[in-house]
Amino acid sequence: MAPENSKDSHAMDQDVQPPPSKLLPKEAKKKKEEKKDEDLSEEDLALKQQLELYVERVQDGDPAIQKMALEAMRQEIRTATSSMTSVPKPLKFLRPHYGTLKSYYEKMVDSELKRYLADVISVLALTMSEDGDRESLRFRLQGSIGDIGSWGHEYVRNLAGEIGNEFQQRQTDEQPVDDLMDLVKQIVPFHVKHNAEPEAVDLLMEVENLELLTQHIDKGNYKRTCSYLTSFASYVPEPDDTLVLDIAYQLYCKFEKYPDALRVALRMDNTQYVKSTFAACKDLLEKQQLCYILARQGVLLELDEELADNDEQRELLQELISNSKLSEGYLTLARDLDVMEPKTPDDIYKAHLVDGRASAGASVDSARQNLAATFVNAFVNAGFGQDKLMTAPSMDSSTGSSSGSWLFKNKEHGKASAAASLGLIVLWDVDGGLALVDKYLYSNDNHVVAGALLAVGIMNCGVHNDCDPAYALLFESVNKEDPTIRIGAIMGLGLAYAGSQKEEVLDLLTPIVQDSKVGIEVAGFAAMALGLVYVGSCNEDVAQSIVLALMNRSEAELGEPLARFLCLGLSLLYLGKQDAVDATMEVAKTFHEKISKYCQVTLDSCAYAGTGNVLKVQALLSLCADHLEKGDSHQAPAVLGIALVAMAEELGLDMAIRSLEHLLQYGEQNIRRAVPLALGILSVSNPKISVMDTLSRLSHDTDSEVAMAATVSLGLIGAGTNNARIAGMLRNLSSYYYKDPSLLFCVRIAQGLVHMGKGLMTLNPYHSDRFLLSNVALAGLMSFLHGSLDMKSIILGKYHYVLYFLVLAMQPRMLITLDENLKPLSVPVRVGQAVDVVGQAGRPKTITGFQTHTTPVLLATGDRAELATEKYIPLSSVLEGFVILKLNPDYQQDHLSS
Amino acid sequence: MPTVSVKWQKHVFNGVEIDTEQPPYVFKCQLYDLTGVPPERQKIMVKGGLLKDDGDWESLGIKEGQRLMLMGTAEEIPKAPEKGPVFVEDLPEDEQGTAALGHTAGLVNLGNTCYMNSTLQCLHSVPELRLALKEYSAAVGTGIDPSSHSLTAATRDLFGELDRSIRPVAPVRFLTVLRSKYPQFAQQTNQGLYMQQDAEECWTQLVYVLSQRLQSVPWDEQPTNTVVKHLFGIEFKSIIKCEESGEESSESETVYTLKCHISSEVNHLHEGLKHGLKSELEKTSPILGRSTLHIKESWINKLPPYLTVQFVRFFWKRESNQKAKILRKVNYPLVLDVLDFCTEELKEKLKGPRKVYREIEDAKVGIKKKEKEGAEGVKALQNLGTSTSDENVEMADAEQAPSSSEKVNVPEPEVTGIYDLVAVLTHKGRSADSGHYVAWVKQDSGKWIEFDDEQPILQREEDITKLSGGGDWHMAYICLYKARVAPPY
Repeated sequence: MAPENSKDSHAMDQDVQPPPSKLLPKEAKKKKEEKKDEDLSEEDLALKQQLELYVERVQDGDPAIQKMALEAMRQEIRTATSSMTSVPKPLKFLRPHYGTLKSYYEKMVDSELKRYLADVISVLALTMSEDGDRESLRFRLQGSIGDIGSWGHEYVRNLAGEIGNEFQQRQTDEQPVDDLMDLVKQIVPFHVKHNAEPEAVDLLMEVENLELLTQHIDKGNYKRTCSYLTSFASYVPEPDDTLVLDIAYQLYCKFEKYPDALRVALRMDNTQYVKSTFAACKDLLEKQQLCYILARQGVLLELDEELADNDEQRELLQELISNSKLSEGYLTLARDLDVMEPKTPDDIYKAHLVDGRASAGASVDSARQNLAATFVNAFVNAGFGQDKLMTAPSMDSSTGSSSGSWLFKNKEHGKASAAASLGLIVLWDVDGGLALVDKYLYSNDNHVVAGALLAVGIMNCGVHNDCDPAYALLFESVNKEDPTIRIGAIMGLGLAYAGSQKEEVLDLLTPIVQDSKVGIEVAGFAAMALGLVYVGSCNEDVAQSIVLALMNRSEAELGEPLARFLCLGLSLLYLGKQDAVDATMEVAKTFHEKISKYCQVTLDSCAYAGTGNVLKVQALLSLCADHLEKGDSHQAPAVLGIALVAMAEELGLDMAIRSLEHLLQYGEQNIRRAVPLALGILSVSNPKISVMDTLSRLSHDTDSEVAMAATVSLGLIGAGTNNARIAGMLRNLSSYYYKDPSLLFCVRIAQGLVHMGKGLMTLNPYHSDRFLLSNVALAGLMSFLHGSLDMKSIILGKYHYVLYFLVLAMQPRMLITLDENLKPLSVPVRVGQAVDVVGQAGRPKTITGFQTHTTPVLLATGDRAELATEKYIPLSSVLEGFVILKLNPDYQQDHLSS
Repeated sequence: MPTVSVKWQKHVFNGVEIDTEQPPYVFKCQLYDLTGVPPERQKIMVKGGLLKDDGDWESLGIKEGQRLMLMGTAEEIPKAPEKGPVFVEDLPEDEQGTAALGHTAGLVNLGNTCYMNSTLQCLHSVPELRLALKEYSAAVGTGIDPSSHSLTAATRDLFGELDRSIRPVAPVRFLTVLRSKYPQFAQQTNQGLYMQQDAEECWTQLVYVLSQRLQSVPWDEQPTNTVVKHLFGIEFKSIIKCEESGEESSESETVYTLKCHISSEVNHLHEGLKHGLKSELEKTSPILGRSTLHIKESWINKLPPYLTVQFVRFFWKRESNQKAKILRKVNYPLVLDVLDFCTEELKEKLKGPRKVYREIEDAKVGIKKKEKEGAEGVKALQNLGTSTSDENVEMADAEQAPSSSEKVNVPEPEVTGIYDLVAVLTHKGRSADSGHYVAWVKQDSGKWIEFDDEQPILQREEDITKLSGGGDWHMAYICLYKARVAPPY
């Protein structure tokens, strides 16, 4: 075979040359043909002559001869095999006769023979027809009804492409498409049968009839199909994306893959589907897995009789959904990794590694540095329940507890943040945490009380307790005299019930938002809290009250830095809800000009956050292209908006990072200040080297606000990673800025973020293989970012506890495997960089560069885990968070290894 | 009577009976028995609400087996400390800087005045001197020498300014006064620029003036016991021996600096100092009636709290007509023990304090050493002295007058003969009247600051000993050592 092949490719080489043009002298053409003929082997020459004979015979007057010739020609074409790169020989030799056959076809009377000929011409058109002619399809439609698959895979693919184009054409011309659909119905099973599910899906998408898919998918190929469907849903404009996900959901349900079905339902944000998945799932163990998934996404599903078999079961499942096991699992991870020992801020600053210019040891306490230490301590020891500043046991009774003494090393409003830091330290552990916070609620210092109230909210963030301690403790303080206490309680409620849509909170807070007598700061925090509680709900009542507040406030009040929280609170209601925002958008245009544009941009960017909508990104970019006179503040949120919209998927994300680089070069100062923050959220908890370098450069910017934003963003991109490179950069910055207390404060905060949870946490709102977006987490990040837009008056001013909004996005980045009794089970897993295997043939490896660990393990952004043992079967296909393992019944102990 | 379960912290109390006839306060007392949390500190949560002391059980609708949550501890309520901390942010703006930075400001170079700046920074690092200057008032100063007085006053004002300011201070007035007092510092080049001067000369003159003016300390009328003499004065006891006749005479003198002479054998400060204690001089012998070669051997008879060591790096080179510099590398330690240079009497006197000091050090390290006597103990102490370089014993009331017979009842911390390096004045360049002078000063926090005129730069301790010469980099010219003291024996 080999020599023939090489000859064949030689022939191909010549074939590549452009076909002789008509302008050429005939002789030359002839010569060339002769030469070509000479090159052909005898076998080929015979075939060529044979085919030429067939072509002649087809044009014969005798139908019998015609038919014979056609049959023979068909036979030749169908049996021809070829390599991937060359055209099958029969097709090649028939090419010169394409025109002849076509013109003869036109002359033929309608008969079966004519349809036969149409078949052949349709196949020939595969190589001959001009772009856009769709001749292959045209002749196909005129041809016989038969098995199109017999003409080969390439033919079908080509046909599918032409159908897509034709379909669009006919749609615009409003012509019927039934004949096309008949073809589609043939093609789809062919594709599905031949491991080309993506092509089948694509074709069905083109002809807008995805429902056809379900009947062709079976147990063997639903996985590939669904993974293709779910991953390309991000690239489909609304509302088609819902349709795509819907199909995926139905497929998963059909094959009883409830955890996957639930994920799709959560992605669609469809409560009905969530419930029906839960109801359809009968296996208790699998139900428990569903509960863990719900808990991770923060969906509080109230289980009724339909969803649980009996009361005992319901209680168990409800407890899992309420996420009350989170603290336990997190501490298991921490103990396994041996990081329980509390860390002090000095352990993080590592001043001994900073050479030269670090502060020479201040003789007097600096309130700002102590505040920074408070935050660093809180972030680093978050969730561990112990630290060395706030909870450390008192050394001796005479001086009082040391926690009190650290608390009082903070000044005024700093004490609020210090008391609230306790909430972060005991994060998720409501039972143990309340006991620690309790005593501060009795303090006679308003700041301390406010902080304690906030702490109650923080520790309840993301977990639910049926006694509702947060509401019980906070609701009375919401209407106290002192604005600090009010803010503490309001923000606490917002954090504790984020995403829960708790009606009591609505009733409690709407009067405050509307009350024009309360300070704008209290109203702002109330609006934020409502926005968090009703995030992505489009709740009319909340929207109404915030809109009223925005309309009634005076110009001066709307100019206050905290007025932005009113806008943000309003916008959070529409987070990810796309065009549901339109009505409110119209209203926002009528606001006072001071805030109207800011509000519009924020609304728009929130509504399309995480959608990857390119048109929105372009619109926001064009907003940033204006060079405005001073005074307009809407460009900064537009920059953030670009990041929010584009963060949906990797391609858009990279494009957004490049666009931001342009803004940095050509934008005005107010834009440049927002760019580092946008970069921060685009790559949150994902320290990409390129982003890191950009931020590092900006952290030395001459504009101090750019430098501050870049410094904080360095913290964001390294949040919870312990990334040594960022830690080093921040240490250098701490010595570079040792004389500038504001920037030093930012450096400290960033250091705290990088070592958040001693490296066990992430702020990334995306989870489950980057498939699900947690609205609450995104809302938390946005609150923090909008707070950081006016760094000087909010974070560096009196409202530094805005930093605690980040708690909404804080999640352990772990994989814990559980046995059937929900006890931690150590099994070997491979952890490596995730590889995109969607639509690839065969069974490609899903991770690369992996290492084998035993659970529990940490997962970095972009990491994926897979079990390294056959002994167990995971109940969830995505190994993240809590995963229940079931013994593999088919497992056989390997005798060699035992 | 429904029974409920109560969750408190991590405990669950099952089967707690509620007497719905009684107000909830009674129920709280029940819980007090279980948990020890006083009723007024109890918060009982029932489905998002708090149980009031006088609440109504009916309206709450407590069900059999319901779970309640109790929050509360018997812990003390944290109180603010009576004296809150002072924050940098609260201080007046001009004090914020020093407090935040932990070191004083730099001095502006007014045109080749780095010799003066570095001298001032070194002397400024002596807290006792600063205190004495603060007490120096104009009233005391009226009298003998107005220029000395004004120089002292100018020093006082400048030190005060250094203490307060965050920005570099320009010592304009001090410079003017210095130049009027010592015109040699006002030397100018042909172009009319002021010339670089020898820092050692400046140091000596300044200390001299201060020793003159700061003599009348209130507690001591004796003019010989001046503050400066007490702080820096080293009392020598010398024996001068005539080589030929063998006659001996002894004398005692007080100097302010130990000289470290540098010859080709000297590699270490210790050797240089030893070298300097022995000198040959020509002197008229009363017996022989002519001038003969005498050997002078000196020992230290009294040690000051601050020891000034000068490296004699410059000599007058006639051919080039300038003070040339010896670039030889001479190492110096961070901790200096001068026991070897003391007279026998002083050695005897130091024994006590050194023992006490050693015991304290041992206690600090946590070792209980058996008492050892005699030279063995001293030897061990020497080792210890060099090994524990970080210890910095506070020197209380050291600026008070030295122990005199009238004031025995006031116990004084005593010097141990062990000294810590606290300031180094370095020179870079080839002759004393050119190049650049810089002061390296150890702060209370233990950090080192290089005062390069107006710019204070943080330095690491290990880099300080690298200033020992042997190249064109900065090399130590004057070192200031501070005594480690032991409480009264």
